[in-house]
Amino acid sequence: MQTMQRYSLVAITVVLLGSSARAQSFRVQCPDTTSLHPGTCAGGTNAGLSCLTATDCPGTAGTCVPIGAGANPNHPGQIKCQHVGGGDGYATMGDGHQIYLFAFSPLSGLSDIEAGRPGTQTTDVFNSGYAGPNYATTGTCSGGGNAGESCRVVQDCPDPTSAGVACKSSSTSLAAAPNNAAIKEPAAIMDMGVLAGNAPAPLMAIDEDDEFFLTLSNPGMIMRPDLFEQHTIHFHGYPNASSYFDGVPDSSVAINIAGSFTYYYTAPDPGTYFWHCHITPPEHLQMGMVGQLYVRPRQNRLTSTQPLRDALIASNRRAAVDPLATGLACSDILCTGQTPAPAPNAAVGGGRYAYNDGDGSTRYDVEYPIQMMGFDPNFHYVGMTFNPEAFADMKDKYFLLSGRSYPDTVNPSPITTMSSDGVSRPSQPLPSLITLNKTAGQTRALLRISDLSVTEFTTLATIGIPMTVIAQNARMLRDTAGNNLSYNTNSITLGGGESADVILDASAVPPGTYFLYSTNLDHLSNDAENFGGMMTEIQVN
Amino acid sequence: MRPTTMRHGTLLAVLTAVGPALAAVPGIAGPSFDLVASASYVSQPDGAAIYSWGYGCSPTSAAPFTPFPGVCPPMQLPGPTLIVTEGQVVQVRLTNNLPPAAGNTSIVFPGFAVTTTGGAAGLLAQEAANGGGSVTYSFTATTPGTHAYYSGTQADLQIEMGLFGALIVLPASPPATCRPRGRFSLAASAYDHPSTCYDREYLFQLSELDSRIHDRALAQVQACPVGPCPAIVVQSEPYHPNYFLLNGRSMPDNMDTSYATGYLHQPYNANPHMHPGELLLMRIIGQGRWQHPFHFHGNHARVLARDGNLLLSAADNVSLAGPLLFTTPTVSGQSQDQIFTWTGKGLNWDVYNHHPTDTPQVPCVPDASGYNSIVGSPNFGEWCADHLKPIPVVPPDPTIVAIGQWYAGTPYLGMQNSGAFTNTNEPPGTLNQNPTQESGYAYMWHSHNEREITTNDVFPGGMLSMLLIDPPSWFIDETR
Repeated sequence: MQTMQRYSLVAITVVLLGSSARAQSFRVQCPDTTSLHPGTCAGGTNAGLSCLTATDCPGTAGTCVPIGAGANPNHPGQIKCQHVGGGDGYATMGDGHQIYLFAFSPLSGLSDIEAGRPGTQTTDVFNSGYAGPNYATTGTCSGGGNAGESCRVVQDCPDPTSAGVACKSSSTSLAAAPNNAAIKEPAAIMDMGVLAGNAPAPLMAIDEDDEFFLTLSNPGMIMRPDLFEQHTIHFHGYPNASSYFDGVPDSSVAINIAGSFTYYYTAPDPGTYFWHCHITPPEHLQMGMVGQLYVRPRQNRLTSTQPLRDALIASNRRAAVDPLATGLACSDILCTGQTPAPAPNAAVGGGRYAYNDGDGSTRYDVEYPIQMMGFDPNFHYVGMTFNPEAFADMKDKYFLLSGRSYPDTVNPSPITTMSSDGVSRPSQPLPSLITLNKTAGQTRALLRISDLSVTEFTTLATIGIPMTVIAQNARMLRDTAGNNLSYNTNSITLGGGESADVILDASAVPPGTYFLYSTNLDHLSNDAENFGGMMTEIQVN
Repeated sequence: MRPTTMRHGTLLAVLTAVGPALAAVPGIAGPSFDLVASASYVSQPDGAAIYSWGYGCSPTSAAPFTPFPGVCPPMQLPGPTLIVTEGQVVQVRLTNNLPPAAGNTSIVFPGFAVTTTGGAAGLLAQEAANGGGSVTYSFTATTPGTHAYYSGTQADLQIEMGLFGALIVLPASPPATCRPRGRFSLAASAYDHPSTCYDREYLFQLSELDSRIHDRALAQVQACPVGPCPAIVVQSEPYHPNYFLLNGRSMPDNMDTSYATGYLHQPYNANPHMHPGELLLMRIIGQGRWQHPFHFHGNHARVLARDGNLLLSAADNVSLAGPLLFTTPTVSGQSQDQIFTWTGKGLNWDVYNHHPTDTPQVPCVPDASGYNSIVGSPNFGEWCADHLKPIPVVPPDPTIVAIGQWYAGTPYLGMQNSGAFTNTNEPPGTLNQNPTQESGYAYMWHSHNEREITTNDVFPGGMLSMLLIDPPSWFIDETR
């Protein structure tokens, strides 16, 4: 019955779209070339020169080759794109209960998202054409135990003895695993965006010097057809934000159902940020529209022959503009695009770093984005059942790390949840199991911790392995004279809207299982279950 | 938007009548103050009148207002902002006009060596006895910066009821390298230090209020109209605050004018404005019993000091050492000074919508740091590297978006409702919030424990305000 309702609603939406054909509705923007990241002419009279289109490359066989996944030393960075849907969905809590979400769904980078990686793609991948499941298209199992029965993905046609079993629609084979390309076609956005929300929202990561084209499409919240909700994306903590792309509906525009808005950001300062919807924040954040975002430093691109400090000083001087700037200190009080240089040292590149530290102090071997959050099941139930929600009495009872509570946090696989239409979709792709393989030379784990609790401050602590807090609110802990102000601790306390970068150094820690958990002890529960909650394991091997 | 929540328009109708309201750090100047503590009602945007206690000015002494004229009633929430200069000997006389059941009261000035004259013995401070008793506190304002003051008597109840305020100590010798003191600024710098210069300043006192505690206190006050009375006993746990205040007001009241007649006992607003490139001093105090993660959209801010203690590098004792934050956790009783700024640097598009085809061309002549140096030009302070660059995306069709109340109709700073972007006139939001000549960029400054941006279950409300970054051509009149 619910399924039937759903399809009739989709039909209504399609009719509405048809009646306003002049208006541009869903539209995904991801240009292959920009003036900041032009292509390069291959062939023709301008071979080797920058180009935006093929017309910039006249002559025989002149083509404009976009930067794609490549690198152009004259134009550092790349063009990155991502597509998300703002709608609803369901998640599975640690006690097995399903919980209704307002949520963002991945509409690009699905393969990476399901593997727990950022869904952000270069233009060549993003624009290559989606292949994978379609949650709204029914096929038929070509063999196996369910042969002849309807299916939506190949997993619906189990047969461990036969590898050739497929879920086939009339024309195409519905691939079991999605690729990373964007879903762009309007009907497909509806098919894949409705009821497909994730907790947390799709992970995003870009590199310093990148341009980021982020499209939000609004397929509507099918379980709440009474709501004509807009959604937005707020890049929380982003430097020198323009109010147009800041995602605050009061200060900009917010996209209605069946429309798309493409946000544009550069990547001026590396760090751990996060993102969320900014419509009625106490409601939409509590209901699940929160996600993670980080910007990797350009120091990552240095090689083992390049001194980190020299590169930092050169980078500071470029950001300061002033030819008299020494690059040792910052040109403005907020250190925009700069980092105070550390004392002279011999550190060279070749590693991965959280920040442009100039001394290797933020180097890590493995990284884990972890979002502290909580759900109030009563609020979610009231929200699903068409009732007015009370804000003053909001009380979280599921305490989550990246959308899961213990023991789900250590499940390495994506968690799927069956929605009200009977289709199972990936709902919580991110495990929080932290693994350090010392036998493989890994000793330093970077935890990119953000807190999007809507109600309270929460403490996260470790047992047996020290935390080094290297950054707070996406800025390295370093004074303006270049002194390192990082500190060792076993706990950090964050309120909603804060982030911190923590390095776990296992070099002096024996192999074993350690824990990262909330010392607000009532948070170690999954609603009525008194064990679970905001906890995960740190495996040192 | 929930069916049960008031729409913006409903709430903002209040503002429409009075137009945009700006701010500063209005208060009364010292070094001598004659304060009283008394009871009254504060108003909330949901219509509630909440019984509260507050400090105020003695009706018998005229308070010198700064930086512009105002009013100082005998009870206000928060108490009068006391403004003194470093090195002054400050005298605060407190008279207790609270109802009999409230008992004695007092003020503590954390961070200062206080001596008292008169009054009754108390635990944390010498107290002003109930029934018109008074006490005088004296201290030397040794450290510049932002400080809290609050009751030291039955503090769990008296601070909840509203007995708190701010003390601003201005530096004795602001550095000569600062720009001239802003027209609505109290000083040119926050400290005697060249990295603490500022152009504008705003005070943010964050507190929360559980109206049930106030109701129960009122019942006991009414039960004992003539003293001596038993001490008020009110259950304060579990604590369920339902009002979340910036400078004593909930949004949208906190965006109305300071000293507006509609809020007799809540004279101060919280309504920051600035021009690109200006340095905005945020004076932040946690005045409640809860912490609040105060998130400022637009950019980071640099923490200068906590509780009036400038944070300097151990390396040279000169360089700033406070962190850069986009969300500052307020701590109960703690004050912070922070510098915020915004330039638009690095956006990779021209926020003033200049085009290579414009006639005449609007020039951008960079100073040494890359910002337009032509004083008085409409794009003074523009980040010249992005001059003439088009916005890199195609905007959505204006018929499929919802328009914000503070959205001026275009993505550009200082441009209202121009067709240049989309060839369509996107309807602007509410002209009153961001009128044609202003068309600033609006940024939400709010508690990120998002439940706290509600007023007793009504969204929007509570601890929420809007920073407006105004185009250079727009005169920011903080008195309005």
